[in-house]
Amino acid sequence: MTENKLTIDGLVSGYGALDILQGVVLALKRGEILALMGRNGMGKTTLLKTLMGLIRTRGGTIALDGRPVAGKPPSWLLANGVGYAPQELPLFQDLSIRDNLRLALRHDRDLPRALEHVSCSFPFLLDRLDQKTGTLSGGEQKMLILSRAMMCEPDLLLIDEISEGVQPSVVQRIAAALRAEQERRGVSILLVEQNLAFALDVADRWAVMKLGRIVDGGACEAASRQTVLNHLSI
Amino acid sequence: MALLLDIATTAALLFIVAAGLFVIFGVLKIINFAHAAWLTIGAYTTVLATGMGLDPWLSLPLALLVGGLLGALTEVAIVRPLYRRPLDAILATWGLGVVIVQLITLGFGRDMQMPPALMGGTVNMLGTPYSSYRLFLLAAAVVLGVVFVLVLERTRLGLNAQAVIMNETLARALGMNTGRVRMITFMLGSAIAAVAGVLLTPLSSVDPSMGISWLIGAFMLVMVSGTSVAALALACLCFGAAQVLVSTWVSPILGSVTVAVLCAVMLRLHPKGFARD
Repeated sequence: MTENKLTIDGLVSGYGALDILQGVVLALKRGEILALMGRNGMGKTTLLKTLMGLIRTRGGTIALDGRPVAGKPPSWLLANGVGYAPQELPLFQDLSIRDNLRLALRHDRDLPRALEHVSCSFPFLLDRLDQKTGTLSGGEQKMLILSRAMMCEPDLLLIDEISEGVQPSVVQRIAAALRAEQERRGVSILLVEQNLAFALDVADRWAVMKLGRIVDGGACEAASRQTVLNHLSI
Repeated sequence: MALLLDIATTAALLFIVAAGLFVIFGVLKIINFAHAAWLTIGAYTTVLATGMGLDPWLSLPLALLVGGLLGALTEVAIVRPLYRRPLDAILATWGLGVVIVQLITLGFGRDMQMPPALMGGTVNMLGTPYSSYRLFLLAAAVVLGVVFVLVLERTRLGLNAQAVIMNETLARALGMNTGRVRMITFMLGSAIAAVAGVLLTPLSSVDPSMGISWLIGAFMLVMVSGTSVAALALACLCFGAAQVLVSTWVSPILGSVTVAVLCAVMLRLHPKGFARD
């Protein structure tokens, strides 16, 4: 078994005639949290969508536990231990919390076990299962998105800007939930973030993406902050 | 009393005829202009079945089967490549409808067919004798509406269909086989339309172009209803009532275009129609 949970080598993908990812090289170790940062429009969300099979790969390779998975559909990836918390239109606003969670499961019979898992991190959701998602606050919606991604107990979590527009106390709860997942189950997490403090606090390593390429990276320690800030400043 | 019953049963008939188109448009956002052909196929299933000596009621499950199978075939071969090109899908389904009508003409000729009625006689409704078949249609529409709501709100298929309607990209990102949801939906819509064709046989002339006269009204009703079953029922009731009143008090010819005209006016004044959002 390889040391890396996820290995990306020379990945190219994009929309229409435009290549957004221009040869991404990145590795995520087992049980590691890697914060991927960068300014808007650099390709971070496109990378997660490509990893999830929502955008076609145009070049390069993606390996999960050493197995090539580029071109696999989202259903295959989810069934093989990948969880995804998207940033764009991430919830069915007119459906209840329960239905939003059900839709991430293959069978309704898996719901009790999934809810049990949700209750570990965000127990308030269980008391409001019939509430329409659109009536939740922004922070509650983010916790629901994360719960949905985590409830099937994936080995690899792809999380897209989960702290965006969320108050500090909720960010702390999210950070605690991610750390708990890492400690309890050794889950690997690729965390796309703009919130530098949160990212460096929760992650083991960081990487910066610029114009579709990884341009720098390192371990998350006190000295990292200024280095990353230099990359993110305009 | 007879007028009230006419309004209720006309609304029921409109609901039954529009239901198949509504299912397909609601989930797939495709206007299936082959809907008229599915109605005709249903009616000719009755002609064929009764011609073979079968009980007319057996036409209902047969039409369900034939409509479903042809719907699946159409979805795979014609509609699937055109989901991102809805205008082309309209043209393709229109063309398919023309082909089906010509094939039916080739097989059965242009003459009007007279299959045996599913049901005859009258029932006394508070002193007014009224067609038992039209009352049966009213019950059938209520059952269809209830089944729609139950399937949408209580089954996994309904939940998946709602997810595809609301946000197909997210549904796919959650691992849903949205292609299968689309195919099942098209099958169901086609099967319901074929059953509607069977139910039309005692009330409408059965000839190869019979579906065309129902298509525009059904299309307009779906346009003012969005994706809500309740809105479709309300639209059928309001415009069905207008059709009956105009036919009774003004002219049956004007009555036949009332639904289409009122729907067009409503869309001009209130583009969302009866839909709440």
